[in-house]
Amino acid sequence: MKPISEMREVVVSGIGLTKWGFYPDQEWYDFGSEAIFKVLEDAEMEWKDIQAAFCGSVYQGTGSGHQAIKEIGLTGIPVVNVENACSSGSSAFRLAYQTVASELYDVVLALGMEKMPRGPIPSTAFRPWELASGFNVQMANYANEAVEYMEKTGATVEDFSRVTIKNRKNGALNPYARYQKAVTMEEVMGSRMVATPLRLFHCCPLADGAGAVILCSHDRVKSRKRTVTVAASVLTSGVYGEQKLGGGTVLSLKNPAPIGIAELSAKEAYEIAGYGAEGIDVVQVYDTMAPSELWDIENLGFCKTGEAPVLLKEGVFDIDGRIPVNTDGGLMSRGHPLGATGIAQICEIVSQLRGEAGARQVKGAKIGLTHAMGAGPNSSVTILKV
Amino acid sequence: MGNGKKIPLKEGLWSTQSEDGTPQLIGSKCEVCGEHFFPKKEKGWCIYCQNRSLSDVTLSREGKIASFSVVMQQPGGGFYKGPVPFSYGCVDLPEGIRIETLFSTDEFSELEVGESAELVIEKIYADDEGNEVVTFQFKPIKN
Repeated sequence: MKPISEMREVVVSGIGLTKWGFYPDQEWYDFGSEAIFKVLEDAEMEWKDIQAAFCGSVYQGTGSGHQAIKEIGLTGIPVVNVENACSSGSSAFRLAYQTVASELYDVVLALGMEKMPRGPIPSTAFRPWELASGFNVQMANYANEAVEYMEKTGATVEDFSRVTIKNRKNGALNPYARYQKAVTMEEVMGSRMVATPLRLFHCCPLADGAGAVILCSHDRVKSRKRTVTVAASVLTSGVYGEQKLGGGTVLSLKNPAPIGIAELSAKEAYEIAGYGAEGIDVVQVYDTMAPSELWDIENLGFCKTGEAPVLLKEGVFDIDGRIPVNTDGGLMSRGHPLGATGIAQICEIVSQLRGEAGARQVKGAKIGLTHAMGAGPNSSVTILKV
Repeated sequence: MGNGKKIPLKEGLWSTQSEDGTPQLIGSKCEVCGEHFFPKKEKGWCIYCQNRSLSDVTLSREGKIASFSVVMQQPGGGFYKGPVPFSYGCVDLPEGIRIETLFSTDEFSELEVGESAELVIEKIYADDEGNEVVTFQFKPIKN
């Protein structure tokens, strides 16, 4: 592999998000095309500037990105659709990044969009007998891992609830989030049981929506906004022996993975970027279920195993804390249109690094990290800097 | 209607060929590295040491519950046709293999991490012809 030091630096020159929620009368191409209009406006570019497009989605079927781009203009550029479960958006971003870094193109669009099916997600990343056994209940897959995490660390259900409370508090400051209202411990612990020990408010809500970013070389930047560049963009897709029930893998008792995919993707990203977790000012992690934020923070190297619940309680992960996590409310507040989530995480970091995050602004944020897990399994880490 | 045949959810997950007729899960064991797999890998390929070195083995009927969750709502996609609520999780067997499994319980409160559970073959649902579709499950062993 070519070292990043030999590749061209890439700028995130535009971001665009739609307001996420349920839109029964609209389709994914409606959200997708709206996100493209917004990203072009933010980047101060025209559609004819875009030389290629990578479009992330999971449930939208054949040619989903083309359907959105048809609403903007068919200009003969290559459009590639990316399905990589919940890492689809960040995988589309990574492909767009690579083509600009490698000087194949100068200006590339990464789009993520989804109109979600209603009810629990019908994940099909399993064998037919596993599906017939009911093993595709992602809330229960996370619940099993939460049970093991509780056994290992002593974490409690109240600790998980504090993740929801923090993120919903942050989400109240995010005009693009599906839920913009804080919740109390009583509301979280009083919500209905979904998969023991996890309750409804420990699960991220679903949502329809889209997000887009434009990546380009320095010489193609048109806006005068603060320049945010990509320090690392890594994808790791499964290691032998690691348990990811959501991706259909169980722990190997004899040969457990020496390093899990979240740790591995973070390690690679830190090596490429040239600094570790201690250098990161603001973080977007994958809170698809409340407990997953805790072990995600630990796996990414921000603290040791079992420390995240304590630090959360102390306020370390608050917007004004030492390591602000999920400043835009995370999946818990935004909702989770599978293909769009990775892009929204990146949009929030860009807003933070530009100093445009308003009431959510982390003072002096210079370097930010996003982490998107996905069935498969997949783990994708992006580091951005100013 | 109602001829009461028992149909396995999937052929080849378990065997009743043991001496006393009790069911045993069928897995694979690698002759090179010793890793176990369940279900058995049809291609005979060890995905750990990456050799074509697997042979079929029957697995222990008893293990320890490593984790479980009681699912309170219908799984998405319409693939699962069993009762709700239901529980599934992981059981660790003494030969050093973890099995993802449904649990069979009279009360969900019988489930406890670290406790023993044994293999049973039980109904998951009845099909349109009245046959019982059965699959492997682990049942907590009451002390």
